[in-house]
Amino acid sequence: MSLFTDIPDINLHFSSLMRIKIYYDDGAYIGKLSDVFVDYEEMYPLVIAIQYKKNNQQFYIAWNEIVEFSLQRVIVLRTARIGRSRTFPKLHQQRLLTGQLADQFKGEMIEYPALGKVILDRQIVDIFGKKVVRVNDIEFIKTGKYLRVTHAAVGLRSMFRRLGYEKAIDIFVKTFRPNANYLKKEQLINWKFVHAIPDKSVQDNVRLGITNEEIQKLHPADLADILEELDGRSRELLFSNLDPELAAATLSEIDVDMQAELLKNEAPEEVAKIIENLGTDEAADLLYELEDSKINEIISKIKDSEIQEEIQELLEYDEDTAGGLMSTEVFEISPENKKSDVLKIIQDQYEEIENIYDIFVVDNEGHLIGTTSLAKLLMQKEDVTVSQIMRSSDLKFLSPDASWKEVAYFMSKYNLINVPILDETQVLLGIVSVDDILPWILDE
Amino acid sequence: MSENMPTENTLSAKPRLFKSSWAKFILLMGIVGPGLITANIDNDAGGIATYSMAGAATGYRLLWLLLPITFALILVQEMSARMGIVSGKGLADLVREKFGLRITFYTLILLIIADLGNTMAEFAGIASAGEIFGISKFISVPICSIFVWLLITKGDYKIVERVFLLGCTVYIAYVITGVINQPDWQEIGSALVHPDIKNISSKDMPIIVGLIGTSITPWMQFYIQSAVVEKGIEVKHLWHSKIDVIVGCLSMAIVTLFIIICCAATLHQNGIMIETAKDAAIALEPLAGKYSSVLFGIGLFNASIFSAALLPLATSYYVCEGMGWESGVDKSFKEAPNFFTIFTALILVSAILILIPNINLFNILIWSQVINGILIPVILLYIINLCNDPDIMGEYTNSMAYNFVCYAIVLLMLTANIAMMYFEFSK
Repeated sequence: MSLFTDIPDINLHFSSLMRIKIYYDDGAYIGKLSDVFVDYEEMYPLVIAIQYKKNNQQFYIAWNEIVEFSLQRVIVLRTARIGRSRTFPKLHQQRLLTGQLADQFKGEMIEYPALGKVILDRQIVDIFGKKVVRVNDIEFIKTGKYLRVTHAAVGLRSMFRRLGYEKAIDIFVKTFRPNANYLKKEQLINWKFVHAIPDKSVQDNVRLGITNEEIQKLHPADLADILEELDGRSRELLFSNLDPELAAATLSEIDVDMQAELLKNEAPEEVAKIIENLGTDEAADLLYELEDSKINEIISKIKDSEIQEEIQELLEYDEDTAGGLMSTEVFEISPENKKSDVLKIIQDQYEEIENIYDIFVVDNEGHLIGTTSLAKLLMQKEDVTVSQIMRSSDLKFLSPDASWKEVAYFMSKYNLINVPILDETQVLLGIVSVDDILPWILDE
Repeated sequence: MSENMPTENTLSAKPRLFKSSWAKFILLMGIVGPGLITANIDNDAGGIATYSMAGAATGYRLLWLLLPITFALILVQEMSARMGIVSGKGLADLVREKFGLRITFYTLILLIIADLGNTMAEFAGIASAGEIFGISKFISVPICSIFVWLLITKGDYKIVERVFLLGCTVYIAYVITGVINQPDWQEIGSALVHPDIKNISSKDMPIIVGLIGTSITPWMQFYIQSAVVEKGIEVKHLWHSKIDVIVGCLSMAIVTLFIIICCAATLHQNGIMIETAKDAAIALEPLAGKYSSVLFGIGLFNASIFSAALLPLATSYYVCEGMGWESGVDKSFKEAPNFFTIFTALILVSAILILIPNINLFNILIWSQVINGILIPVILLYIINLCNDPDIMGEYTNSMAYNFVCYAIVLLMLTANIAMMYFEFSK
C-alpha cells in the first residue's frame, strides 16, 4: 500500500506541504501542517515527524503514525500519540555524518528543532558554491513510504513559488522567452553541501551536529569571504568550530578590523593555539588590537616558548614603527656557510622564514655583518662561502623605532625588498619586508 | 576537493585590506555613536523642510508635540539598537527569519516606495538649494544624480562623512539664531509642556503627521540596527548604547526645536508662508543677514546630497539582506545585479520625477514624510513583536510596561495618520 496518493512528482517542496489539513482516520480534524522534523544526522535527512499549530502551541506526530499523505490532506491513526512541544525528542544513534558533537549524545534523547525553523528563510553556507545564501524553499524526494530532504532551493523561482506567483510568472516568461534558463533549471543546493548555521537559541537548547564537516575542507580565502558575509554571531559560531591551523590561515585572509572582533570572544587558550599558527609579525599585529589584560593571558598560554618570546619582544615596539612591523623569522646565515649549506637551510626552514630573497649574514653574537641576495648566491660556484660574496660595508638598516613612513622612504630610496632592523649594538632583531609596509601605504 | 585543502604556508598570506566599503563606512560612523549619527542623518532635506513649515505655519503652537515624539523616538530606537546588539542581525534579516518570505517581500516593496519618496525629497532639496543660487534644477539635478551614483560606486566614504558633518553645521546656525532672536523663553517653555489640542485644525494634520514621519522613519530603524551590528557592540555594553540613543535623540530634538523657534520668530510673526526654500532661509536672517540664503542653501545642499547617496544605498542593502541577494559596492554588477539595479533605479527614477515641469518641490518634501508616517506603524509592530521573541532576544525581551507604552505609540501614530487622511479626503 502506498502512503502517498495523488502526488505525481517524485519531488516535493516544503512550501507545498505547508497548510495541508491533518485528519484522524475517523475523519476528525486535527490541524494544519506547519513544519516537519527530520533526522539531522543523515546526509539526506529522513522526515521523522510532522508539526502542526493550534492555539499558538506546537504539536508533533511521528511519521509512522501517518496512513495517507496527499497535497490535500494527511490522515493519521486514531491511536496516534500527539506530543506538545516545539521540538521532537529523538533517540540519538551514530549515523553517517556525525560530528564529534553528536558523539556526546550517543544513546541519549535529544530534542530536534523543526526543519523549517532552522533552515527556511535563514542563511546557510553553500559549501559547493562557497558563499552565504538564504534558503527560499526545501526540496524533498519520495522514497518508498518516506520523504527525504535533498536540496535547498535558493533562486528566483523558489522565491516566486513561496509568494504564490510561480504559475503567473511561468506563463509570462514562457510567452516572451520560452527558452529562458529560469524555466529549465532551478537553483538548488545539494543537501550534502548545506552548512546550517545554528541559531543562538538552537545552539543553546538543542545542541545539534547540523554543522557540516565539509566546511573544514574549504580554502582559507573562501572561508574568509564566507565569514565576512555572515552576521556577527554566526561568524563567531562558524569560526570557533574551525581547527586552530585552519583558523589561523583563515584569519590572515580576513579584514583587519574583523580579526580582532573574531578573537575577542574566544578563550585565551584557543587564541594562543591560533596565534602559534600565524607568523610572529602577524600575530603581534593582531594582539595589538586586543585589550592589554587579554594579551598577557594569551601570551602566557602559548606553548612554544620560542614563539612566545618573539611575540613578547615584538609587542614592546609601537605598532607603526619598524619594530612593530618587523618579522623575527629572518633568513640568517653564518659567514662560513657554503652555497650548498645555504640551499640546505632553505630546504629545511622554508616554512618558517618570511622570504628568502635576501640573505642576512650574522656572527655568533647575532650582529649583522653583511648581506647578499639569493640570486647572487645562485650564480656562484658550489664551494663559495657566504663571506666571500657578501656586501659588508655601507649596510642599509634601520633602528626599531623608525616610523613606518621612514621605513617606506628608505625602502623606496634604496630599492629594498627587505630592511634589516638592528639595535644599538648592531644585533639583527628582524626584517621589515615590502608586504609588511604596503597596507600602511594603501591605508594612507 | 583535495585542491581546496588549506595551504600549509600561512606566512605569506597578508590580511586583505578592503572589505565592503559600506561596512567600513558604517564602522567609521559607528565610532561617533550609531544613535547620534542616525539622529543627525534624520535631519535631512525633508526634515528641515517640515520643521520650517511647522514653525512658519503654526508658530509655537505645535511645540508640545516634540516631547512625545522624542520620547517615542528614544523607545523605538532603543528597541532597534537592543535587537541589533543581542541578535547580531539586521532588521530585514530578522523580519525574514521570523515572518517568512511573503511578509518580508511586501514590506520591502513598501520600503522601496517610501524611500523612493525620500530620495525624491533629497533631490528636491538639491534642486531647492540650487534655485537659491539661481541654478536651474535641470542642471543641478542631473549633475548631482551622476555625482551621487559615482560617490556610491567609486566613492571614498571618508570624504562623504566630512561633507555630511559640514552639512550638520547649519543646525548650529539655527541654535545661534534662535538665541540671537531673544525669543520669550517662558512662552516657549510653556508651549513645550502644555498640549494645545483645542486649536488644532484640519490644516495642521499634514504638519503633525509630517513631524512624526520625519522624526521616526522606517528606514532609520533599519539603519541604526545595522550600524549597531556592524560595530559589533557586546551585550554587556547595552547601557552605553542606550545612552548613545538618548543623547542622539535629544540632540535631534534640540535642532528641531530651534528650527521651529527660528521660523516662528521670523516667518510666523510676519505672516509669511513658506512657498520655496528661499522663504525658509529668511529664518536665518538675524544671524547671517543678507547671507542667510547662502547659509541655508549650503546647509540644505550638503544634507540633501549626502542623504541622496546614503538612502538608495541603504535601501538596496536592506532589500538584498531580506531577500538573500548578494550585495556590496565592491562586487561587480554580474555578482550582485539586484543590488546595483535597486540603488541605480532609485536614483534615476527620483531624479527624473523631480525634473517633471511645474512640480512644487517643497510639497514633495512634505509628502514624502507623510508616506513614511503611514508605513512606520507597520514596521513598529514588527519591531515590538521581534523584541518579545525569546528565541531572538533571550533574556532581553521587552517588559510588560514597555510593550504597553510601545503599543500606545503605535496606536497614536495610527490615529494621527487616519485623522490626516480623513481631513484630506473630506476637504
